[in-house]
Amino acid sequence: MNIASVAARRSVVIGGLNHRGVAVLLLLGPCLLYLAAFAIYPLIYSLKLSLTDLQAAEAHGRWIGLRNYGDLLRDPFFWNATRNSAIMVTASVTIQVVLGVAMALFFNLHLRGSALVRGILVLPMLISPTIVGVMWRSLLNPDWGLVTWVIQQLGFDQPAWLTSVSTTMFILVLIDSWQWTPFVFIIVYARIQALPHEVVEAAQIDGASRYDVFRHVTLPLLMPAIAFAAVFRAVDAFRSFDLIFGLTYGSPGRGTVTLAFFAFQNGFHFQNYGYAAAVSYMMLIILMIGMTVLLRYFGLRARHAQ
Amino acid sequence: MIGGHLMRRRAERAVAYIVLAALAIVGLAPFVYLAILSTMSHIEILTQVPPQLEFRWATIVANYHEVLISRGLLRFVANSALVVGVSTLIALAIGTPAAYAFSRLPFRGKDNIGNTILSMRFMPPIAVAIPIFLMMKEIHLRDTYMGLILPYCAFSLPLIVWIMIGFFDEVPREIDDAAQVDGCTYFGLLWRVMLPIVRPGMVTSALFGAIFVWNEFLVALYVIDSGRMQTISLGAATLISAEHPIDWTISATVGVVTVIPMLLFSLLVQRYIVRGLTAGAVK
Repeated sequence: MNIASVAARRSVVIGGLNHRGVAVLLLLGPCLLYLAAFAIYPLIYSLKLSLTDLQAAEAHGRWIGLRNYGDLLRDPFFWNATRNSAIMVTASVTIQVVLGVAMALFFNLHLRGSALVRGILVLPMLISPTIVGVMWRSLLNPDWGLVTWVIQQLGFDQPAWLTSVSTTMFILVLIDSWQWTPFVFIIVYARIQALPHEVVEAAQIDGASRYDVFRHVTLPLLMPAIAFAAVFRAVDAFRSFDLIFGLTYGSPGRGTVTLAFFAFQNGFHFQNYGYAAAVSYMMLIILMIGMTVLLRYFGLRARHAQ
Repeated sequence: MIGGHLMRRRAERAVAYIVLAALAIVGLAPFVYLAILSTMSHIEILTQVPPQLEFRWATIVANYHEVLISRGLLRFVANSALVVGVSTLIALAIGTPAAYAFSRLPFRGKDNIGNTILSMRFMPPIAVAIPIFLMMKEIHLRDTYMGLILPYCAFSLPLIVWIMIGFFDEVPREIDDAAQVDGCTYFGLLWRVMLPIVRPGMVTSALFGAIFVWNEFLVALYVIDSGRMQTISLGAATLISAEHPIDWTISATVGVVTVIPMLLFSLLVQRYIVRGLTAGAVK
């Protein structure tokens, strides 16, 4: 009761705001103002740009309403990029979730030396995807690349890694998976470590097979972590641009031009700022719809809103 | 029968270790290969398949001299260090108090504001690169360090808030209560009691902010105009994409120079990496 009255006296209203209100304002204010200026404002600016025909050379773009968006929907290259993005996201997430969960289970055997290997597998995530692209371009070089050489030694024909449309997209997904499967692995592994041992042991004592324990006990408990990792990977694969920049630059033809790279081409090479802004707004719309669906599907909520 | 069981277990273990070794090789080999290529001359790369591993000091020195001095990557590394350092410090200074407010204080619209900040973690840089470029042009910050630091802070802020909320949430409430009974204000509490406790969180979030900024080059591509202001990722990306046919010696050396600072940095703060990656994923 004493403490309660002290607390009540503390929250005396000062000019319409109580002590706590002032504290919130001062603690949170700078962060919100900053993001408003350098994250929200650019987004609004981008929306405005998408309604103009601004080209780099001109000082002012003309207001053309929704024409960019109309053009986009009729642009076969836009649909090509959308298709590539869809393939990239679906394939990357599928491969990385399956392999990542498998790796988490594998590392749960706690073999000697596995801590060191875990440390190694974290490294790819720290480096620029552009450099990852160059790294693998040299490994896969058709004339002298190490992977090409190994494949030839094994007696196979040298595949057309980065020159045929179908294999290039596949290679892109594989390299993205080389870099980011460990992300899924680390998150799922952390969750496995936190699982109560008793549950799994109880199931084993009841005579359940290893597969049954995994399917009906472990997997459901891991679902929130898997969902979390999958959502992060889906978004990052969708906005991924640097890897394509370093690996294929969109080639062969337009085979690996995703939406992010399509926006980049329009904004940088063609300096078609209005059109590029419209592409990135389409991306934001897709992202928002995708996130809503995914979050609802997995029943995920932001952490602090629990 | 027992012998057969033991044999099978042994075989399983052997297979498991082979898988473990394969994972290590797949993870590490690309780095090693890149490092080896950076020690070879252009002709050697084309003719020695696989690389002969006859390291010649003169070639190594020539490659790295060309990249670090002649092509100016040393300067780009310094530019990046400055931009990464300043932007991370600013983001940490703004983001930590905000995360504290989200973790501890009740206020109206908390969930909505929080979700908005966290969703910025998902924003495609391509969506804001052009407007940021035009903004920086208008306020005459094109081709300056400030022109990069300002937008980069906005990129790392959501990351830092996201990670820091988790660390604040882990501090028991009793500590707040005790400090407040002792007459601490919110700021005194944050500064004197909380910050020492959440220091690992600050290292973790700074690490992830720094990695993002170090690797970013799309915004830099627009904002930076002159050769001498380039950041390392921008310098690396332009060197790699501009030359046709690509000079593999140079590319590999550029790759090594870009990657090494991040790898060294992460070795120093190794134990924080997993904490940062799993932030928000495990309750």
